[in-house]
Amino acid sequence: MAQTPGSEARTGLKLISPTAVYVILLLAVPLATVLIYSVLTGGRGNVSLPVTIENYSELWAKSVYGYIMVKSLMVALVVTAITVVLAYPVAYFVSFHVKPERKSLWLFLITIPFWTSYIIRVSLWFVILGYGGILDSLLGTIGLPPLNVASHSILSIIIVLAHAYAPFAVLPIFVSLEKVDRSLLEAGQDLGESRWVTFLRVTLPLSMPGVIAAALIVFIPTVGDYVTPELVGDGKEPMIANLIETQLLKLQNFPQGSAFAVASMLMVGIVSVAFVLWNRRFIGGQK
Amino acid sequence: MTFSADRPTMIEFKDVHKYYGDYHALRGINGTIKAGEFFSLLGPSGCGKTTLLRTIAGFEDISSGVIMIDGKDMANVAANVRPTNMVFQSYAIFPNMSVEENVGFGLRKDPRSKEDKAKAVAEALEMVGLKGFGKRAAHALSGGQRQRVALARALILKPKVLLLDEPLSALDKKMREHMQVELIKLQRQVGITFILVTHDQEEALVMSDRIAVMFEGEIAQLADPETLYRRPNSKKVADFIGTMNFIPAQVLSETGDTLEIDAKGLGRVTIDASMAPPARGESPVVGLRPETLTLLYDGQTATERETEGIIDEVIYFGDMTYYDVYLGGTDVEVRLSMRNVPGRPVLDVGTKVRVAWSPSALVLFR
Repeated sequence: MAQTPGSEARTGLKLISPTAVYVILLLAVPLATVLIYSVLTGGRGNVSLPVTIENYSELWAKSVYGYIMVKSLMVALVVTAITVVLAYPVAYFVSFHVKPERKSLWLFLITIPFWTSYIIRVSLWFVILGYGGILDSLLGTIGLPPLNVASHSILSIIIVLAHAYAPFAVLPIFVSLEKVDRSLLEAGQDLGESRWVTFLRVTLPLSMPGVIAAALIVFIPTVGDYVTPELVGDGKEPMIANLIETQLLKLQNFPQGSAFAVASMLMVGIVSVAFVLWNRRFIGGQK
Repeated sequence: MTFSADRPTMIEFKDVHKYYGDYHALRGINGTIKAGEFFSLLGPSGCGKTTLLRTIAGFEDISSGVIMIDGKDMANVAANVRPTNMVFQSYAIFPNMSVEENVGFGLRKDPRSKEDKAKAVAEALEMVGLKGFGKRAAHALSGGQRQRVALARALILKPKVLLLDEPLSALDKKMREHMQVELIKLQRQVGITFILVTHDQEEALVMSDRIAVMFEGEIAQLADPETLYRRPNSKKVADFIGTMNFIPAQVLSETGDTLEIDAKGLGRVTIDASMAPPARGESPVVGLRPETLTLLYDGQTATERETEGIIDEVIYFGDMTYYDVYLGGTDVEVRLSMRNVPGRPVLDVGTKVRVAWSPSALVLFR
């Protein structure tokens, strides 16, 4: 190891260069392209000068765009909330009540839904939620009228997304719960608190970094989800991604599509940063 | 050793057993701990001392038997309502809270006003020598400071019993010795019953009013430090506490009050019956502490008995020198300690010496 700091740095650069090339070509360049396109003038299938902000003002001008954006945001927030709330007890159970040697098996089982193609999982939800599906048949046998959940596009989208992203939420919460020193829970009880209050005062705050990570992991991709509204909602309830797809692929209005994409990224960015700031006392938050 | 035995009982164990599956962790614990006592549970790792402490705190259920605290059976009393508080081995300081939030953790249900509670927290911190540390972040504390926070957090609730699970084991030697003295002072100041778990026999001797020595889930001996050191009731206890020379011996005759024995290398000697704990059917040996043996220099004579020997090994410690000496032309080797005071040169290996000893220091195990 007779390397000078300079040669060490060069070795480092060489080592990261494949990744760097990948990141520049496949992330930075496309992102820059989208940013530039979004302020250019568009025609059908072509892009031209002059620079304009018209693509963005279009967003304000037509209320339907704003409606779709807010709807996407709301759906993603609801999905995030449901997923995190349902994932927490699962992660807690695996971390606290499963024997250490069984934990990997449990985590493995939790990821099983990923073995099946997403399209197939969505179709199966149709079988469960659709008119005359499993849910309605069950309700029928106990004498209740059918719900036909699948006809409520937004509700179906939320259910399918929450199920799809559940494992992503379980894992970070599980990791943060694993890091909680178990003697702290005994200390909480020793100092006079019940198990439940000890959970609220000790375990929950200490696992918040995992909860925050889980929320972001679910929220960010669900805002931009394209497949689910297309399949489950039958395209009747378009979300941002469907809007962008229409502009870019169907209408071939690249600048308008790019502007929607940038607006969507900004929205996700602002909500995520606000969420992180709101919870900053929990992050790295060992006072 | 000013502890008086007539104080009221704080904790009583009646035939306490604990099983983990097939493993018999506590095998019939009996005994009492007095109010205001500094009591230690001493033993090697795996002897059940921590398990016993955790059964007092309520973190472990017992399989059978009774644990009474202050006259009440603890059978169905949960940990969070027991009149005990614990200083954990890891200190278990809440990492997401400040020092004062940690210390005030147990005061949530306290009916006092916010100001009074803050005052109590400040007082508790002052008591453990952390005045002005309230706003500090818990993770920015040193090991010794964490321990003080853990102490303040427990003592602020004025428990009847404070449980300490190897609290000093994570500290360096100097800090440990300093904290030993501080804990003794603190215990005298607050008057609460302290129960300390430790594997360090020196620590137990220094700090405790009484000590329970545990082996394999049983209490081998429960006594004050001096009795434990001078009159251990078994070879195992004698071996665990301090250094003890064991010399093969024969019991020649036995009357009610005295025993006539023949110890190899020492010769015939009469000892008091109180120095011979009940027989266990082992081959008889006499125990002799290194400091009860003295090397005689030229011109000195023994006040009681003396035996010739040859120095086999010299271990120099600065203030002390340890000598391993073959006694009386036999293969019996004993270790003895001499303080290095002026006029006492350190002797060489192979030197013929005379060793003075006292029959009253002998303990017979058989």
